[in-house]
Amino acid sequence: MPENDGLMRVFWPADLPRSDLKGVVVGWRNSALDVFVLTILEEVDPRNVETALKLGTLTRYAPHPVNRIYELCGQSSLHVLGLSNHPESVEVDPSWIRVTTGSGRKVPAVTCARASSIQIILFDRPLPGRMQYISLNPIALALGDKHGNFRNESIEEEEEKEERLKQEKKKQLVEKLKQHSVFKRSPSPKEKALAKVVNQINWAWELEKLLQKNVGRIGTRPRRALSVSERVVESATTLRDIAMVWLWNLMTIYVLPVIKKLFVLGLMAHRVAAEVLLTVLEWRARPGYAALKDISATAQQVEIRLQQFCYWPMQYVTLRLRKNDWESVTTSHPDYIRFYNSLWLVANDVIIGIALGSYIIDNADWVAGEISDLLSRYTVEALQSSISWLMGWPAGLKLNGELAEFLGDLFLWVIEYWSSCIETLRPVLPHLIWFIGFSSFAGASMPIALFSDLLSILTIHIYSFYMASARIYHWQLNILISLFHLFRGKKHNVLRNRIDSCDYDLDQLLVGTILFTLLFFLLPTVVVFYLNFAFARMAIISLKAGFDTILSFLNHFPLFALMLRIKDPGRLPGGIRFELRDTKDFRYAVNDSPSSSSTSPSSSSSPSTSIIQLKSIPLTFKAMFHQYFQMGHRIRKHYLSPRVVLALLTGKFVPPLNRKNLYSLQYSMLPARRAGILDMWDAVNSLPAPKRKVGPVWVPGMSGPFSGGGSFPGTGFNGSGGYNRDGLSGRRFGR
Amino acid sequence: MLTTTPHLYVRRPSPTTAEFTVTTCPPLTLPLRLALIFIFLLRVSTITAALTTIYARFFLSSPTTNSSPLSLLIQGEIFPLITHLLYTLHTSSPGQFLSNNLCPIPSWVLLLSSSAVIYFAFFVQLYTTESLLVLRGLGIQISTGGWGRKTRFIPTEKIRDILINEAFRGFEVRYYLIVLVEGEEDVVVVFPRLLPRKKIVEAVWRGVRGCLFEGEGTVGGRKDGHV
Repeated sequence: MPENDGLMRVFWPADLPRSDLKGVVVGWRNSALDVFVLTILEEVDPRNVETALKLGTLTRYAPHPVNRIYELCGQSSLHVLGLSNHPESVEVDPSWIRVTTGSGRKVPAVTCARASSIQIILFDRPLPGRMQYISLNPIALALGDKHGNFRNESIEEEEEKEERLKQEKKKQLVEKLKQHSVFKRSPSPKEKALAKVVNQINWAWELEKLLQKNVGRIGTRPRRALSVSERVVESATTLRDIAMVWLWNLMTIYVLPVIKKLFVLGLMAHRVAAEVLLTVLEWRARPGYAALKDISATAQQVEIRLQQFCYWPMQYVTLRLRKNDWESVTTSHPDYIRFYNSLWLVANDVIIGIALGSYIIDNADWVAGEISDLLSRYTVEALQSSISWLMGWPAGLKLNGELAEFLGDLFLWVIEYWSSCIETLRPVLPHLIWFIGFSSFAGASMPIALFSDLLSILTIHIYSFYMASARIYHWQLNILISLFHLFRGKKHNVLRNRIDSCDYDLDQLLVGTILFTLLFFLLPTVVVFYLNFAFARMAIISLKAGFDTILSFLNHFPLFALMLRIKDPGRLPGGIRFELRDTKDFRYAVNDSPSSSSTSPSSSSSPSTSIIQLKSIPLTFKAMFHQYFQMGHRIRKHYLSPRVVLALLTGKFVPPLNRKNLYSLQYSMLPARRAGILDMWDAVNSLPAPKRKVGPVWVPGMSGPFSGGGSFPGTGFNGSGGYNRDGLSGRRFGR
Repeated sequence: MLTTTPHLYVRRPSPTTAEFTVTTCPPLTLPLRLALIFIFLLRVSTITAALTTIYARFFLSSPTTNSSPLSLLIQGEIFPLITHLLYTLHTSSPGQFLSNNLCPIPSWVLLLSSSAVIYFAFFVQLYTTESLLVLRGLGIQISTGGWGRKTRFIPTEKIRDILINEAFRGFEVRYYLIVLVEGEEDVVVVFPRLLPRKKIVEAVWRGVRGCLFEGEGTVGGRKDGHV
């Protein structure tokens, strides 16, 4: 054998029932010395098992297509892998394994004629019914692969560029390191099999159940007829079942379709309305201009909700189709988590919103009074008093009195005008508050977004003051710098972007120097006014950032995932890990007792064995909140970078963080392109019709669950597999 | 006395599987065991003292029932039991001594410092242990840390190469083991916290090469012993 280095790898389910009976080991053979044990069929003849596997007897009456198993597990058929608890004297195929298990030992003893060393890898089978599974890579809670496109569209920012350059440099270094490895090994089939093995582990539980169910069909077994009393019970339950099934069919044929049709129509009407609203929200006067949703937090909140409503039916359809497949297919599990997470978040949002809304509506007058109080106190009076403080000599700083008076009067006059505007608004405020309270029945995020917008509207004067003072300050600083160059006899050469020396005339120098002195002495006055408004502006920005944070928690918090992580960590796989088990206790297990190891001849020939436990790592909390960390990192990078501090100090406009970057978090639960109306219509109508139940029929030769009350409507159609001889799904009952 | 320079343990039940563990924990002798037990008791008493302090300052109330702690335990009433125990601790002489001495400290300082003390007493580890598990045909697994043990498994298919690299660290040159992973822009450092000496790194490298790849023979890696 070419790849034979004598290493045999056995994957063994740790929770397989241990018994002392003779049995046949059945599973997948991934390559010659790489086997995956599914189950041990007891008290059967290995030759019969082999023929049964060839004929497909063991996978008969499967609830779903059997080919799907082979396709996902990467093998064309199941194999007999060896014998368990057979005496040494029995001749077996040299590639078969010989297993000794028993109720006394934790780990089976495995030998194989061809193997010189053995790895036994024990794993705990994930339960597909509980949606547990394992995977090599951490489960993705966010919808991936579209934020890359997002970023390409937007203009790359300075920090991002720097970061990218740094990454490229690092990449080059690593590339250089890679050149050290001279030749590339081609991976052996064992190494390539890992992804397949992961799938096989996920399938192990369901497949074992199927095989064990069919084990009775191997070989000849005496068929027992039902006794008279059993027949009586049988017919009694059958009568009751027939009545129930008749009622159920009446429901499914006449009532359900009507309800369903109405519901689908309502859904489609809603979808069309959503489409219209979304078009309005996303309308841009010109490409590159800001749309409504980029400006207003409320518009964005409405947009997110509408997008979610558009996405839910599609998600639901995907999840419904999952029922028509084996439970072990794990591809839609992240979708499931995402769907219920967003449903739960919206429900939470509405519940909190109802509480908040009823409070606001009940106390609308008081809330309005408080808000107008706060407004007049902080955005008018505080500003006025701070300006008048600056007009005197603040903190003993001797400013230029005339300029300070001029600037102060200017701002005070605007503030006075603004306060009269607010006065006219005051009677409307209770109605506005009432409206906000009412809107919160659509979720607590709505009033928060509305308050955020209200804040930006009602503090627009501070924004304009900030802009004006920043502009004045920036001009003055620029003039000062160029006059300083003139003062030194130099000038800035724009063409070469450097400082050249320059011969100025005497009058130029004189006037320039006088102006420089003048402006320099006026600078502190302008600076204090600028700083005053800059601080006010920063306070408002941080307040809005607080609102945005609350919104992102309401819209995106991984609540469902957190709950799952606590309730059942197996449903959130974050990778796998191996543990080397102590071989000492294993040696006891192999030879049953330490003394027998010296006496029994077989122990000397037993290959060196290592026991490895395969475990699934649950997703780390850090990975769950990965996007929050990313957003925090981005905000920190943007607002605490030296560039922004410099811009703040020199009075340049501080660019706000790109909203797309900031809200990538909020949109990470939604697809980049929403499905069209027609797509949704198709998807909703593609759902399989509800299954019609067939009255229970007694099938000779079948026992228990196939003919009894198992097919009762409420029990989820357990018995359908019984009738389904061709192994197709149970859909044909609807016809 | 409690820690040594990093040294290597190798577990190799079969030639195709090996675990290399680098640890600063010295071999367990009797004095060391006694010292460890002493440290454990010290930790427990520190945590208890900090908890009692917080309780005495913020939640002090005399227990409502006068039943003995044993009967409370039998009845399964956890909260009254804890309150009872803390109250007993508080009224004992060391508890009184502690609360009398800490009286002048303001509440928030007390709260912060006690929480910090609890955190450190709970989480600070004496030893650093890092290990590398090599499984032929599957891959290698790097694990770090004791409490929140972090593991990272790299399938063989993705391993481009395993190399010894050197780098400046402060004023010294360190040799360290790296794994080049296919399709990843960063290298993976083995034993990232301890960064053991060249001798150990070399031994591990030989062991990994011999163990992981077929047909490269078995080199290095003495069985179950010190290096």
